[in-house]
Amino acid sequence: MELTLAIAIGILSASGVYLLLRPRTFQVIIGLSLVSYAVNLFILSMGRLRMDAAPILSGADANIADYADPVPQALVLTAIVIGFAMTALFLVVLLAARGLSGSDHVDGKGD
Amino acid sequence: MTGMNHIAILPILIPMAAMVFNLLVGDGRSNRRIIGINIGFSVLLLLVSILLLTVLAQSSTAAAAVYPLGNWPVPFGIVLVADRLAAVMVLTTSILSLAALIFASARWHSRGTNFFPLFHALVMGLNGAFLTGDLFNLFVFFELLLAASYGLALHGGGRNRVRAAMHYIVINLVASFLFLIGVALIYGTTGTLNMADIARAVPNIAADDLGLFEAGVAVLGIAFLIKAGSWPLHFWLPNTYSSAAPPVAALFAIMTKVGFYAILRLWTLVFANQTGPELVFGQNVLFVLGIATVAYGSVGALSSKALDRLASYLILVSAGTLLLAVAYNVPGVTTGALYYVVVATLAAGALFLLKDVIDQVLPAEAQILAVSLEFYGDEEDVIDEDQEVSRSFPAAATLLGWCFAIAAIVMAGLPPLSGFLSKFAMLSAAFGAANAPTAATWWLTGALIVSGLFVLIAMVRNGINIFWTSLPDDGGLSLRPLEIGPIMVLLALCVLMAVFAGPALSYFADTAAFIHAPQNYIDLVLPKGDAS
Amino acid sequence: MFVLAAPGEKYRGAAWVTAVVAAILSLLSLALFPSIANGEVLISRIEWVPQLGLNLTLRLDGLAWLFAVLITCIGFLVVLYARYYMSPKDPIARFHALLLAFMGAMLGLVMSGNIIQLAIFWELTSLVSFLLIGYWYHRGDARDGARMALIITGTGGLALFVSMLIIGRIVGSYELDDVLASGSLIVESPLYPVALILFLLGAFTKSAQFPFQFWLPNAMTAPTPVSAYLHSATMVKAGVFILTRFWPVMHDHQLWFWIVTYTGLATLIFGAYTALFQRDLKGLLAYSTISHLGLITTLLGMGTPLAAVAAIFHIANHATFKASLFMAVGIIDHETGTRDVRKLSGLRKYMPFTATLAIIASAAMAGVPLLNGFLSKEMFFTETAEFDPNVFVNLSLPIGATLAGMLSVAYSIKFVHGVFFGPPPTQLEKVPHEPPALMRRPIEILVLICLAVGIIPGITIAPYLAAAVHSVLGAETPYYSLSVWHGFNLPLIMSIIAMVGGAVIYVPYYRKLRDIDGVPLTRGLVGQRVFERILVTATNRWARHLVGAFGTQRLQPQIFVVIFLALAAGIAAGWTRMGNLPLPDSFDPVLGLVWLLGGISAIAAAQQAKFHRLASMILMGGAGLATCLTFAWFSAPDLALTQLLAEIATTVLILLGLRWLPKRSPVPEGTPWAARLRRYRDVSLAGLVGLATALASYAVMTRSAPEGISDFFLANAYKEGGGTNVVNVMLVDFRGFDTMGEITVLGVVALTVFGLLRRFRPASDSVERPEQQRVLDDYAPGSGDSVADDFLRIPALIMNWMFPVVVVVAIYMLMRGHDLPGGGFIAGIIMSLAFILQYLAGGTRWVEERLRILPLLWIGWGLLLALLTGLGAMVLGAPFLTSAFAYADIPLIGKVPMATALIFDLGVFALVVGATVLMLIALAHQSIRRPKVAGSNKPKQRAGLDKWN
Repeated sequence: MELTLAIAIGILSASGVYLLLRPRTFQVIIGLSLVSYAVNLFILSMGRLRMDAAPILSGADANIADYADPVPQALVLTAIVIGFAMTALFLVVLLAARGLSGSDHVDGKGD
Repeated sequence: MTGMNHIAILPILIPMAAMVFNLLVGDGRSNRRIIGINIGFSVLLLLVSILLLTVLAQSSTAAAAVYPLGNWPVPFGIVLVADRLAAVMVLTTSILSLAALIFASARWHSRGTNFFPLFHALVMGLNGAFLTGDLFNLFVFFELLLAASYGLALHGGGRNRVRAAMHYIVINLVASFLFLIGVALIYGTTGTLNMADIARAVPNIAADDLGLFEAGVAVLGIAFLIKAGSWPLHFWLPNTYSSAAPPVAALFAIMTKVGFYAILRLWTLVFANQTGPELVFGQNVLFVLGIATVAYGSVGALSSKALDRLASYLILVSAGTLLLAVAYNVPGVTTGALYYVVVATLAAGALFLLKDVIDQVLPAEAQILAVSLEFYGDEEDVIDEDQEVSRSFPAAATLLGWCFAIAAIVMAGLPPLSGFLSKFAMLSAAFGAANAPTAATWWLTGALIVSGLFVLIAMVRNGINIFWTSLPDDGGLSLRPLEIGPIMVLLALCVLMAVFAGPALSYFADTAAFIHAPQNYIDLVLPKGDAS
Repeated sequence: MFVLAAPGEKYRGAAWVTAVVAAILSLLSLALFPSIANGEVLISRIEWVPQLGLNLTLRLDGLAWLFAVLITCIGFLVVLYARYYMSPKDPIARFHALLLAFMGAMLGLVMSGNIIQLAIFWELTSLVSFLLIGYWYHRGDARDGARMALIITGTGGLALFVSMLIIGRIVGSYELDDVLASGSLIVESPLYPVALILFLLGAFTKSAQFPFQFWLPNAMTAPTPVSAYLHSATMVKAGVFILTRFWPVMHDHQLWFWIVTYTGLATLIFGAYTALFQRDLKGLLAYSTISHLGLITTLLGMGTPLAAVAAIFHIANHATFKASLFMAVGIIDHETGTRDVRKLSGLRKYMPFTATLAIIASAAMAGVPLLNGFLSKEMFFTETAEFDPNVFVNLSLPIGATLAGMLSVAYSIKFVHGVFFGPPPTQLEKVPHEPPALMRRPIEILVLICLAVGIIPGITIAPYLAAAVHSVLGAETPYYSLSVWHGFNLPLIMSIIAMVGGAVIYVPYYRKLRDIDGVPLTRGLVGQRVFERILVTATNRWARHLVGAFGTQRLQPQIFVVIFLALAAGIAAGWTRMGNLPLPDSFDPVLGLVWLLGGISAIAAAQQAKFHRLASMILMGGAGLATCLTFAWFSAPDLALTQLLAEIATTVLILLGLRWLPKRSPVPEGTPWAARLRRYRDVSLAGLVGLATALASYAVMTRSAPEGISDFFLANAYKEGGGTNVVNVMLVDFRGFDTMGEITVLGVVALTVFGLLRRFRPASDSVERPEQQRVLDDYAPGSGDSVADDFLRIPALIMNWMFPVVVVVAIYMLMRGHDLPGGGFIAGIIMSLAFILQYLAGGTRWVEERLRILPLLWIGWGLLLALLTGLGAMVLGAPFLTSAFAYADIPLIGKVPMATALIFDLGVFALVVGATVLMLIALAHQSIRRPKVAGSNKPKQRAGLDKWN
């Protein structure tokens, strides 16, 4: 299953990067979202994969060995929030740019 | 040093409080009272950072304030580490921000919504980035200062600003992804996020994981280089800086320095217990990039007609110079580089502000530099008696002239001001080194000197064009004290840095010594026997 | 003394202040003579940057004294002279301030006992001279002259600085004493050639040696007093000064001999030759200055002690007579209004005194016996005539010297004869007459010195010269005689040849020489224009081309470079020591299926994004869903929830924005090959990136985790943090600081979005309403926005009922967050989704009229709560964000952890609600601007937004 996840990360980042390199702002924003998925999964994978071991303690006397590594999850949570904010920001900026330059090209060139 | 622990976090909390204040009380309105209170916050911040610096300067060279947030033991909780380096950067930030804020309070704050909260957010992000001792927390503060800088870069709106800002945003979002990947790889191989702990863990990394670890470091390095404005990752910079509102651009002058700071800190820490091909390789790459950046920056300075563009290329020159210094990796050179950071930042900031003031007094048509005039004109200049009388210089213009001259001399690194002293410090350390002069020494010398020359030519050209050919003749130039004041203060600081170069440099020498002996830092942050 | 002089700017007074200062200085320097007369050295040191060996050291020895006297005395005379020369309309204060500043810089230069300090003052002279030369800055030629002087001498100064660094490296100290005491250390060092070249670059540029001579004539656009000062006694002398200063430690090397001697000789002849063809008197003097500097340089190059003596002697002499000549020309210019030889003639009758003075001075310049110029020129001839084993040297030196002698005689005659003799001038606007007597005084004094030195050298100059010479040569000071008559010897013959030859050159051709335009033979080689071209082309055209070539303004290449470099760096650093990758041991079909779909939708999204935006967005959602599932799968419920909600919010945002993008339909014909090529390139890069990330993550996942920090959190989350949901405890407690920063980011972004949309201008083609709505309008004309609502009545009702439910869910999520999946962010998003539902249902207007919340305030309160939670701990003395907790029993909900962290989480919640709602509303609000956008609707939109601002 590691392999599956690795491939998934690969595909996500590949298609995201490809979109980042496109000239249309909408393509870029989709690309950003895809890459952010990839990155989040990547971070998660750094904590090694555990199934059915959600870090929800079953009380004070819990055996740590039974739980997944919480650190990457915390990082990913922060990353998700920031990613959400940045996507929203970029969306509005591209709308503004589109409004001002009348084009949705990243360099504001006419179509 | 429990006494100063709380000082370590104040530089982050004060701007945050200012932000909250603006959101709750200020809400959009900006009357005199609001402005006054905002400036008050900035002044408070300045005082705190001065206090921090002095406390550090008086204590032993290996001293630093370690502040465990949430009182969790290092390395598990997030920790702030205010050492001399951080203190210097924070102080520079607060000086520059105060100046920019006062300048902005004259006109610019009202050119868009929520200027003050964004401004304080940027300062908060900067200080946080300088103070934190935790890699992921560094990421968070990078995002904070970037988010704020996006907002500020857009401040005032307009087609060019929005386009430049969009490029800026996309590039830096990509940079953030790289940052995350780098952090993730480092965590995956070292199992920790605290910088000191990482440095401690490096030797224990499994041989197989070393490759992954270094890949992470390299990717992280690229992310920092983008922030630091290194060639070829900085093409967004001139547009963004020159199209941003002047006070904003002035504050941006320190943002490239954040990249420099991060590189310096992690470089010395991570590669602390390490030597060998990777180190050398990285050093060479960094050095080459530095040379390229300096070259591109100074050539760009020559090519630029308008003053703001010139200023943003000067930012690149200083960025490259700093990269060179880091790559040189000799305490003496680092000393000079630290001195240079402060001076170059203040001068560049002043230049951005000055550009705005000059624009107000200049006739519009004179704002682009007519090279053709330089080339063809002047032959038809007939010398008749009444022309041999110089025009009397209006006082305001004289003031501007002085400001410009000082900024130019500092940026070009001409004697006797601080720009020169910093270059002298770097070079004489480079020459003084044991096996000097090596090829690197010559490259460094060439880069510093030639870039200085190019900057000189560019500045002279601009200065002549502004002050000698196109400044209106009538004495009635009107300057807002709120605007010219901060500029003068910044430049005065540059001059003072030159006068008191002795003490300043000795402080920086201690700083450099501390940085280049990372074991101090590690021991300081991780008390003995507290290894995770 | 330095303290008096250096900060000349202080004396922003009128002429007399300057005069007084200058006088005091000159008296001071004169008075100091006894103390250095017999070879000892005055030193005073102020520490500046001791750790770098850079101090302000003032060091006064014989040589420094000689220069100090020249600088101050001639400075004093120039000031007197300027008092009458400068027009009252000139801003005289600036002139004098600069003059004093320059005097200070020069004094600092000659008296500096620290070679770095020397370089500093060196550059200072360049800077100040820039301002002096550009004093009449409204004149183009003045600007150019000034800029040229600055750039040339400034460059030289930088070179000098580097050579000083190298010398300091060799000697191990920047103190002049140590350097002079270092003996042959420098010459023997392997670095000597580099140091020498840079050193000479500095000296030659400053002293206008060939081929850098051309800045000097252009600097003649300065007011005459400036020229008289800079180009006789001070600025140009700085070059020969350092040559002399470092002569003892650097001259003993073949390289020095060849370069210095022959540069000097070339300059000597070139200058004299060019001077002969000048029309402008100042130009003539300028070139003669160049040639005399060449003479001095030659002497210093020869490297014999006697030559050095001659050089020092000639420095003094040249200063005196050249200064007086410049002043004389100034008078002529002042009285006749021109400096053009062709217009001038026969002035002897109009201004006899001036004429006499000028004639004597130029005689000294030509080296006529009984004048100081003669003595040093004799010494020069003597030295050149010295036998040298090398035949070339043996011939070239004396012949060149004699030739130059002839030429200088010739141009001296030209000057005298052309101006003062011949028929009365015809082309003058006004009738010339003697200047005020005081304006003549300085010249008289100088000429007097020329005579005195020339006739009775033994009494007048000897002791001072001795002191100067001794300070340079020290023990190896040779015997030299200053007597006028050395007997009938080779040098005398050379002088005679020079005299006669000069006359022979001039007499037959003097008309031609007067009217000739430009310099024959060397006309093509006009340094100034060459320089200008280089300056403009190289530093501007080429620069712009370079910037274009190595930079870009476009975004795509930049991203490409960034990603490419990151990939390269990662591979370069990581590849060699990747370690081995084990084969996959387990495969999970379900996950495989999920990702089969996820991957397909990702790729499809990438491929659709250009033309079918909606489709690609849905596909992207598919990929996002797969991600959520994966999170849930690998025991990260919080992530799954958060990702899902963030996903929804993002989608809604994009949907709201989508309509403002231009319509785009597939272009039928095939894309050009260039575009296709680029696409392949990008695909391959993307593929590589994907491969790299996949490999990296796979490698990490298949390795055993390092001994890390994670166990601590699992162990202490409950005991210390008071929560069983470790992730949430980390967010609000262990790493609460991160969260604080993160929510600040969210708030900041919201502010930015708000600010942007406030001045949002839709593009013209997306102004009119989408046709669906137009269709509707046809059914119910004139009922405006609400039409759509009719079709959404039922769902609207449901959603209104749902609103409280959703709110409750949100609060529940918030409360339980500490122990079970949930928490501030999740709750916040849910809350704001509740509002979105209202939008979808009720339409923008409906909600905005009933809206109860003020997003900005929510953001503010959120931050405030977070801040206060932290500060609370600080008040109690614990570090920021230290948490405390207890459990409270609340009916219906049950046991609820009342950790301070909960308050923090409440802050998060508030901020997230505020930020998200602000963004959504701001975006949604645009739709009701739509119909009026064509016109100017600023006030209205303000009103709309300010309601929740």
